[in-house]
Amino acid sequence: MYILKNAITSIKRNKGRNILIGIIIIVISAASAITLAIRESATKIVTAYENKNPLTATIGMNRENLMKNLRDGNKSQEEMINAFNEIESITEDQIKEYGHSSNLKSYYYTYELSVDAKDIKEATDSLVKETTTTKTETTTTTRKTPSGNSNGGRMPPGGFGGSTSTTRRKTTTTKTEKIFNEKAQDGAFTLIGYNSYEDMKDFINGNYQITSGEVSSDFTSNTCVISEELATLNNLSVGSTITIIDPKTTSNTYTLEITGIYKENTDSSQNMSTMFTSSANNIITNTTFIKTILEKNSNIKPTITPTFILNDKDSIENFTNEVNEKGLSEYYKITTNLQDIESATESVNNVKTFATTFLIITLIIGGVVLIVINMINIRERKYEIGVLRTIGMKKSKVSIQFMLELLIVTLFGLLIGAGIGSITSVPIANSLMANEIETANSKYDNIEKNFGLNNRKENQTTTEEKQNTEESNKTVEEEKETKEPVNMKDYQFGIAKVNEIESIDAIVDFNVLIKLLGIGIILTLISSLASMIAIARFSPLTILKERS
Amino acid sequence: MENILKVSNVSYRYKDANKDDYVLKNINYNFQKGKVYAIKGKSGSGKTTLLSLISGLEKKYEGEIFYKDKNLKKIDLDNYRNHDIGIVFQSYNLLPHLTASENIILSMDISKIKEKNKKELAIKLMEKVGLNKNQSSRRVLKLSGGEQQRVAIARSLSYNPEIIIADEPTGNLDKETETEILNIFNDLAHKDDKCIIIVTHSQNVCDRSDYVYELKKNET
Repeated sequence: MYILKNAITSIKRNKGRNILIGIIIIVISAASAITLAIRESATKIVTAYENKNPLTATIGMNRENLMKNLRDGNKSQEEMINAFNEIESITEDQIKEYGHSSNLKSYYYTYELSVDAKDIKEATDSLVKETTTTKTETTTTTRKTPSGNSNGGRMPPGGFGGSTSTTRRKTTTTKTEKIFNEKAQDGAFTLIGYNSYEDMKDFINGNYQITSGEVSSDFTSNTCVISEELATLNNLSVGSTITIIDPKTTSNTYTLEITGIYKENTDSSQNMSTMFTSSANNIITNTTFIKTILEKNSNIKPTITPTFILNDKDSIENFTNEVNEKGLSEYYKITTNLQDIESATESVNNVKTFATTFLIITLIIGGVVLIVINMINIRERKYEIGVLRTIGMKKSKVSIQFMLELLIVTLFGLLIGAGIGSITSVPIANSLMANEIETANSKYDNIEKNFGLNNRKENQTTTEEKQNTEESNKTVEEEKETKEPVNMKDYQFGIAKVNEIESIDAIVDFNVLIKLLGIGIILTLISSLASMIAIARFSPLTILKERS
Repeated sequence: MENILKVSNVSYRYKDANKDDYVLKNINYNFQKGKVYAIKGKSGSGKTTLLSLISGLEKKYEGEIFYKDKNLKKIDLDNYRNHDIGIVFQSYNLLPHLTASENIILSMDISKIKEKNKKELAIKLMEKVGLNKNQSSRRVLKLSGGEQQRVAIARSLSYNPEIIIADEPTGNLDKETETEILNIFNDLAHKDDKCIIIVTHSQNVCDRSDYVYELKKNET
């Protein structure tokens, strides 16, 4: 206890020395707090993103193998098409077999079927208006018994006798306007069937959100949810029914009750020329319903899309090998969303790497500076060590006292540094993030320039500027937003959009404080090591003789 | 009288000295409680070296030193220095960032003295060596040389050791203060039954001591 008391007294009475050490520790801890906060937040963002967008694999066509085999056989185009059609689709049983793997967290699959629907319009902006003019001729014959010369003494044509017959022709022109989809074909709608809520990742992730009604928990019922766009366009609401038409046999119809309306939260249109989201024409139902359609018509080929949720990156190769061993056709291959995830989190990961490097450099430089200062400090306090040792204080206790002094100063420095770090970490993190986004965006801009797309963008911007000028009630921010052709760079050229994560909310939280404390203790121990060695080596007699 | 400290055939040479170049050679002294001993000699005769051996600050020597029949080579010297022997230096060796009483209390703390009111005891000790309460709360650098030496003596008394060794305790002091300090040492020996060993050049100190040992270089 007296060691602590003596350490505190020593700190109080040697302010200059301890303030200098304190300032160095404040600088180190502020830099560490900032970098740790950025690192932690970046990790959280990446983890959150990865949780929201888990690493998934699916089975897609291996076009390379397909084309290679077809070309090798010197087949004609017709033969190639026939050969392609003969490739067997992935079956539900195969998916279930592949799904039983230790490399997966879980798996699910959806049935997709293109169908048409009775009396509802597809949500597409390719609608055209056609006006049909119908001419109807009506003939009216009127007979009149003469009671006088009512017609001016003229004889009616072709009629003699006691009565007069009049035939009148009337031509009616009817104009009919019909709005139809010029691209509309059979199968304008996509029926997507799920097996359970767990499989409906778009709803779990928040990409889709029910705005009215609900998704029915009965995955065997004839129920569905439709998009807001489809509902608005066709005046449909919860409780309405839609009639699905078998695309191959139009006499087969099925009724689905709408239990919910959903909206898509993500901008997945990927195409500036459409006003609807890509999910607008999706009718989300259950696999039981789709299987009912399939049972009645075996000619229909559904698309079964499996989604395998992988454990981690290492599982990709293992799972691919496993599936190949289980007999996946050479015309299929496993594809993953790893590149998308990495592209989306690249900026944050770059910031994280920078923060880690900066942290290491700070700690090395800080550690060296502290050791040097501590060594100078020990040389200055040699006499004190000599006196304490002479009056019987053990080496270990002298070392503990010196270490405690440094630890107390370090703790104060850490607190102040953490405070500074918490204030400055957010703007610094976001500034770094902005630089990363700018760098990534310039990459897109360069690619766009290579394609000459920048000219189109500029024209578009100019047009939008004109429109915006007319809209005087728009705020500056809104105008800015409108002018920014964000969509132009979304998933173009095979590169994921960079604005997935635009800022880091770096926070010096409990976790960061604990790490900071750990850093403080390690730095204290390392720099105290120098004093401990010195104390162990110093002979009190020599010190006091030197002093005398 | 009982020998409290016995120096038996002690020889010492510096690490870098020649094989036969001893500072102290075959020294045999006995020290008793209640006596004042003066060890005198010319510069380089090994006075301070002998003192550092007795105080346990130097461990590598030939021969044996016994404190109450316990060989210093076999006991914990830190414990020996903070319980059994008090050391007073010519240059006082007080901690400058502490007050007079804090220096004494720190010594008590190191010695693990079980005293409820250490400050009160420190003041009593300071009064015993001729200092007053006001001086106890002053930083030692604000005290005069004589006052600092009194604080050093009070510190050496803080854990009530049986032996007090002093290296030129009056070397930096005027005659009057020297006399006062010597009075304190004599009182400690004759009234409190302490064994006082003073290394000195001063004839005055030798005159006031009960025994005088003279060290001569290269002489046994």
